[in-house]
Amino acid sequence: MTKILFTDKLDSCVERWRSAGMTVIGPVQRANSSVYGAVKSASELDLNLVLTDRSIKELFFPQSEPMLRYAITKAEINTDEFLPPSGPRIIFGARACDASGLAIDDPLFGWDYKDEYWFQRRNESVIVTIACTKADEFCMCTSLKLSPDSTKGSDILLRPLENNKGWQVEELTDRGREAFKSVADLLQEGSDPAAATVTVPEKFNADACAEWLKNPENFESRFWKEISARCIGCGSCTYLCPTCHCFDIQDEGGSFEGIRRKNWDSCSFALFTMHTSGHNPRSTQSARWRQRIMHKFNYFPGKFSANSCSGCGRCTRECPVDMGITETLQEISKLSQ
Amino acid sequence: MSIEQQYRTRAKELLSAGEVKMVIGYGAGTTAERRRPLFITSPDETERLVLDSACIANLSGYLVTEGLLSDEKRVAVFLRPEGIRALNVLAAEAQLDPLQVVIIGFDLPKGELKALQGSSVDDFTALLGALKESTPDVDGRELLEKIEKMSPEERFAFWQEEFSKCIKCYACRQACPMCYCRRCIVDSNQPQWVNTSSHTLGNFEWNIVRAFHLSGRCVECGNCDRACPVNIPLRLINRKMAQEVLDSFNHFAGTSKTQEPVLASFKKDDSETFIL
Ligand code: SF4
Ligand code: SF4
Ligand code: SF4
Ligand code: SF4
Ligand code: SF4
Repeated sequence: MTKILFTDKLDSCVERWRSAGMTVIGPVQRANSSVYGAVKSASELDLNLVLTDRSIKELFFPQSEPMLRYAITKAEINTDEFLPPSGPRIIFGARACDASGLAIDDPLFGWDYKDEYWFQRRNESVIVTIACTKADEFCMCTSLKLSPDSTKGSDILLRPLENNKGWQVEELTDRGREAFKSVADLLQEGSDPAAATVTVPEKFNADACAEWLKNPENFESRFWKEISARCIGCGSCTYLCPTCHCFDIQDEGGSFEGIRRKNWDSCSFALFTMHTSGHNPRSTQSARWRQRIMHKFNYFPGKFSANSCSGCGRCTRECPVDMGITETLQEISKLSQ
Repeated sequence: MSIEQQYRTRAKELLSAGEVKMVIGYGAGTTAERRRPLFITSPDETERLVLDSACIANLSGYLVTEGLLSDEKRVAVFLRPEGIRALNVLAAEAQLDPLQVVIIGFDLPKGELKALQGSSVDDFTALLGALKESTPDVDGRELLEKIEKMSPEERFAFWQEEFSKCIKCYACRQACPMCYCRRCIVDSNQPQWVNTSSHTLGNFEWNIVRAFHLSGRCVECGNCDRACPVNIPLRLINRKMAQEVLDSFNHFAGTSKTQEPVLASFKKDDSETFIL
């Protein structure tokens, strides 16, 4: 017997979670674009999408986050620290690639320095993932050794029922079990079969790519120039990516008073590596594209034993010039044969 | 012969004869509906060029890629009328020498592919002149009319909602052929003129700065709008500014390669409706 959450009970669940003080968040439409946003009722959720336009990352690593307020007077310097907002949250209707993206970034944010802003939010969030029964041509989780029903990074995995009336509930972590205990009476024991997860064809061989990328001879390959000639360096691939995590720290305000903020940054931008001298060690877009691929599929796995990519495909889906990492890795797969 | 085939042949001839060193055109993309910029340097590769109703991106921006035209060789590029206007603006603003550019012109009236005769900007003067007189058929006209009817408060709320989505990826800037500054004002950090944060103020600052910098320069190709990953209707802002500039200064961006930039010129008979 499996626990089943029927769709018509979801609204009561949302109510229950909310009255227990949890913020309920899920995929919603906002001015013609889909994001993860807070909801008051289940009807606001948009659970039929392949994927939201924006990834789950901003719920943990916001695009702009105040860190401290400073005021400098003749006699002293005063700073007030901003702490990350606290409070339990349940994120309902994540996709496996978004949830795994969070798990991929955990070691990064906890490595030499434990990033409170990230971990406080991580520890206070329950991730309820719904296995995918549809995909589009950009999805590629399977190429990254993940799958449409991967449990990585999730606290609960929901499998849609064949009859489309609800989900089988798989509790994966204590945090997940805890959140579902409060709605236990709204779940039903049942044997309704789950729908098959969607088949996502493998697009490249990540291991073969890693080998090629590791070879120092390939660093100066002509390949980088050719594959990235059309890249306009807009950075939207990195901003939409659930695993890209670069940020910049900026003081806003005057010299004597202002706010220090942590803002997203991207290796696709020329300014990212610009020195104060005016010299830019990554002076061409192709060098920047190489960095993006190297970081995700060579340096990051070298350090944290996982690719910095969960295969969501957003980088390709939204690229204004039809680039994204898929094609690059497909070509590298060919080169490494 | 299809226009696509004719243009492939033309590209091949240009490259074989050494008249151009590169052809910038469109190639097949990841999905059947997608087209992507393609850079062809060898006559054997011209069969990869695609030309159909999905070729809407304005490719003129690639012409100002650092170093591309510095050897004084010529480059051929597939351009719609908007792209030809962009080329004129770039020439007028001294960003390139239009003699180095061979235009392979086409248009897509009502989605139907149409060849345009001519190869240098001056060949299209009449066509662009006619464009100035016609009422542009913009996407989202209804929304624009709706916005015009709003009270200032409603309008502010509309844009606040839209700009709140902005993630400051600057895809709009990067995709725009008119945004060629080596260092954009938002990248300047000593001093920092514009907040880099994507909070309400920072987003307003960015989008308003960009709208001003494009007044009288935007050629309405829609590259910015299509590039925006969060679907902010940027075309409406540019359309509005283009209309203001046309009404106030009778200026239609990109009609000739010597056209004076409207915000960098002064005429005694300019109407002085807002500066006293
Ligand atoms: S790959 Fe595409 S989305 Fe990424 S920076 Fe280049 S043009 Fe922009
Ligand atoms: S690199 Fe692309 S496919 Fe991989 S996680 Fe980022 S956006 Fe998704
Ligand atoms: S790919 Fe670039 S933006 Fe993304 S995490 Fe790596 S260095 Fe940062
Ligand atoms: S602002 Fe937009 S529409 Fe205007 S020229 Fe630039 S990309 Fe084209
Ligand atoms: S493309 Fe859209 S999201 Fe990106 S900076 Fe421009 S307006 Fe903002």
